[in-house]
Amino acid sequence: MKTQDMMIFGYLMATGLTTGALYALVAIGVVVVFRATGVVNFAHGEMFMIGGFLAWTAHVMFGLPFLVAFAAAVAGTFVLGIITYQTTFRPLASTGNQNAILLAMVGLSFVLKGIARDLWGGRGDYLSFPPLVSPTPVDIFGFMIMSQQLIVLGAAIAVMIGFWLFFRFTRAGKFMQATADNTKAARLVGLRVDRVFMLTFAVGAAIAGAAATLMAPLTLLYPDVGFSLFVKGFAAAALGGLGSIPGAIVGGFLLGVTEQLSANYIATGLQEVAAFILIFLVMIFIPNGLFGTAARRRV
Amino acid sequence: MLLRLTSPMAAGIALFALLFAAPLLGANEYYSYILNLMMIHVIVTVGLNLVMGHAGQLVFANAAIFGIGAYGTALLMKHFGLPFWLCLPLGAMLAVSIGLALVFPALRLSGIYLALATLAFAQCALWVMVHWTPVTFGAGGFTIPAVSFAPLPISPDMGMYYLAWAVCALLVVLARNIVRSRIGRAFVALSDNEISAQSLGIDLLRYKAAAFGLSSLFAGIAGGLFAGTLRFVGPESFDLHQMILQLVAVVLGGIGSLAGSVIGGVLIVVVLEFTKATKMSVEIVFGGLLLVFVLFAKGGLVVFIRRFLPSWNETLHASPAPRSKAP
Amino acid sequence: MKRLLHTLLLPAALFAWSASAQAQDAQTQGITDTEVKVGAFGPFGGPAYLFGKIAMNGIEVVFDKVNAEGGINGRKLVLIREDDSCRAEGAIAAVKKLVYDEKVFALIGGACSNSTLAARAEIEKAGVPFILNSATSDAITTPVARNIFTSQITASVESRAQVDFAIARGAKKIAVVAMKDAWGMSRYTPLMKYLDEKGIKLVANLELSPDASDATPQALQLKAAGADAVILLLYPKPAAIMVRDATKLAFDPIWIGQSTINDLKAFNAQVGMPGALKNFASITSTKFDPSDPAIAAWNDRLKARFPNDEISPFNMYGLGSAQVFVEALKLAGRDLTRDKFLAALGQLKNFKSDAYFGPITCNAPTDHQCNRTPGWFAWKDDKLVTLD
Repeated sequence: MKTQDMMIFGYLMATGLTTGALYALVAIGVVVVFRATGVVNFAHGEMFMIGGFLAWTAHVMFGLPFLVAFAAAVAGTFVLGIITYQTTFRPLASTGNQNAILLAMVGLSFVLKGIARDLWGGRGDYLSFPPLVSPTPVDIFGFMIMSQQLIVLGAAIAVMIGFWLFFRFTRAGKFMQATADNTKAARLVGLRVDRVFMLTFAVGAAIAGAAATLMAPLTLLYPDVGFSLFVKGFAAAALGGLGSIPGAIVGGFLLGVTEQLSANYIATGLQEVAAFILIFLVMIFIPNGLFGTAARRRV
Repeated sequence: MLLRLTSPMAAGIALFALLFAAPLLGANEYYSYILNLMMIHVIVTVGLNLVMGHAGQLVFANAAIFGIGAYGTALLMKHFGLPFWLCLPLGAMLAVSIGLALVFPALRLSGIYLALATLAFAQCALWVMVHWTPVTFGAGGFTIPAVSFAPLPISPDMGMYYLAWAVCALLVVLARNIVRSRIGRAFVALSDNEISAQSLGIDLLRYKAAAFGLSSLFAGIAGGLFAGTLRFVGPESFDLHQMILQLVAVVLGGIGSLAGSVIGGVLIVVVLEFTKATKMSVEIVFGGLLLVFVLFAKGGLVVFIRRFLPSWNETLHASPAPRSKAP
Repeated sequence: MKRLLHTLLLPAALFAWSASAQAQDAQTQGITDTEVKVGAFGPFGGPAYLFGKIAMNGIEVVFDKVNAEGGINGRKLVLIREDDSCRAEGAIAAVKKLVYDEKVFALIGGACSNSTLAARAEIEKAGVPFILNSATSDAITTPVARNIFTSQITASVESRAQVDFAIARGAKKIAVVAMKDAWGMSRYTPLMKYLDEKGIKLVANLELSPDASDATPQALQLKAAGADAVILLLYPKPAAIMVRDATKLAFDPIWIGQSTINDLKAFNAQVGMPGALKNFASITSTKFDPSDPAIAAWNDRLKARFPNDEISPFNMYGLGSAQVFVEALKLAGRDLTRDKFLAALGQLKNFKSDAYFGPITCNAPTDHQCNRTPGWFAWKDDKLVTLD
């Protein structure tokens, strides 16, 4: 019995980490935008959702190779990120009215959901996306794990390393980093801050597009998938302090594990609400998250 | 007192006179039901605008508070067999007490943080409505008997209609007096800048509590009327769809404008029926309205009205909104 | 003061007058010598559009065919669709609009359990004949309302059939995985009641959210409990995830689905694990075999009439209810009234439609649930097979 308990616990941890990687990938996109602009892209989940549908259209409907579909999803969401920037952040940023920006994003997220429903929703409840690899689970230390989940885990790590390299070694990345650190100074030294913001939104959305393509076989695709994943991604990001990419990754893993453990040891009904409780608690008790910088309140 | 015909006051009186007369002038059951929903949404919108527009606090929990009012009222009727006229204020009190609890996060958070924390709270509230089955009857919802207005010679539907009419008129007048009072001015100072408001001697806790309490009172009463009108309560009436409906109502009429709240509450019901009748996507229409009004018509429809009717003399309290939002 | 009193009493007087006028008109409302107006309500969009818009397409093609053949007793059938957005307030608005504004003779439809349940009081009050075709909640038709019938298998019938199926297959350790939303609860409650009656103790009673993308904890608990049959009160998506994650753990009980999991080909693709459905069975209330000539003919008509909508098993929900409506209308005769129509519908015996798996028999006035025959089917060797 003891070994069986250990076995179950091991499974929960393993699944928590693999679903956590999924949440971390969503959270990274939220964090990239927040770091630079100080706003949370409420439509981030819809970037994810449309990215997934674009990949489905290319791969399943038109039968194009997976890599082409991946590129299409990344490119499509990159453009969508620019659209988000142009329709919400840019026109309202100068007013300094964060509430207005958030309301505009809420509006945009509903519009995108409605459009997706018109375009893809009429083809059955949920679209399935064929897995990239053999659906047979692989045996790791006695645990059966879906190969697709390992791919997501690997991809999360790859994206994390990719971003670290991007911020560290590319001009665009350094500009984004500089702008995120100190917008005023960046402006003073002649950086075209608005360009950098636009790029940030585009890159944040593109991460969602990439994540969606990798995860579609696991989550399946439907127009409402965006909101629930946004909430989980946001919970992960908030737990990590909203401004920290490593924080988002740790937050994602923590959320994934929390969901699994609470579902198994308390009640299976808690799985869906764990993220909301976490957001609420983090916001009230540790608003700076586990990795956040000290609070700044400017007059 | 001489009323100018195009002042908000005159327009309001005309609107309520029209709403009173509509069933008498032969509006069929469908139209009186729609008008009834309008009045309920006017109440919600006026309340939400107090906290969102005047006090500048972006709250996404209002749909859930509306639901708590509905659940509170209907559950008291269902479990204890109490009469509706008693359950309605009790349900509203429940909504207020839970709404007041949101002041504590609101003291520490603002802007996006507050919005998302309250959104999370709203989703938790929905989860409770779904999962606390012995009390809430779970996701399947429950029905309540028609509210009798005996001995008045009036049908339950018409009784609810005129009750909603009277409550709506009363609450709009109440809101007008609040906005013009010291509390209303304190709200605006609060939305401008919390720290400078504090330095002006405005007690943050007290006025945030007032803003949240008032909006919850309005939402709670509206929820009770909603339950009495539908005679059915289920969790999905208070979800994200309800949230965007309420946000659109505030933004469409005009953030920080009482007249705008009335216009917004009336219009969203019209727009919703129109959208369904023309088979358009509700999500695209309402999301689009929110986006377009925030971007291009920040003051809402009242701004247009003011432009064309110089005698429209409402003082607007549209907040310039908080600038810095680190928690 | 006197004027005020008049103003206050006027509405009452007007309503008393209009109510008596309405009662006389109501019997023949929506009928002329050349047409019968029928209202349908359900969602046009959103996640539940399959039960609304797609089912209405099925009604429409039946009406089209009847009209092309000259109508019923010289009357053409006119369908008026109303969107209820699957919401309580929307369904009440839709019903009021159809009854008091469009002035229809009868209603067909009702997609979502909660919204239809919310509209029940209004429908009952109006006395308009209503054939429910999608929502399965028993509460809509029990206790019996004089003018409300369902041609769809109800939740309690399906839940009992699921338990009976498990017993018939020799299951000793039965488990349940359920969604706790309105739809799930309308099945969960009668299921628990029936298990109680049978004296069956569940070895696991679990919940899975409609939005879940993972069901490992549920799969682990089922496996640890040693369940040999699992009853799924889940929509296809969470059900697919449940079956996938159990298969991952090499856990392979008898899976027992219900009528929402009716596109097993798509379901098999959603599960995405070879051989995962070898012990999977599900309920269907409608016929599904496309090689059935009647079904093929209807599918052709649907394709021609609605080229932009997919052909779906949910078309059959509307189609079957429309055929029941047409049959009762024929039996009600030339001098049509609501009472005559309801009497004919209530006496319907062994009516065989093209859509439903079993016959339709209404036992008015005690039982208005007219469809009691679930069919069982499974996915074997890449095609659908009927189980006995």
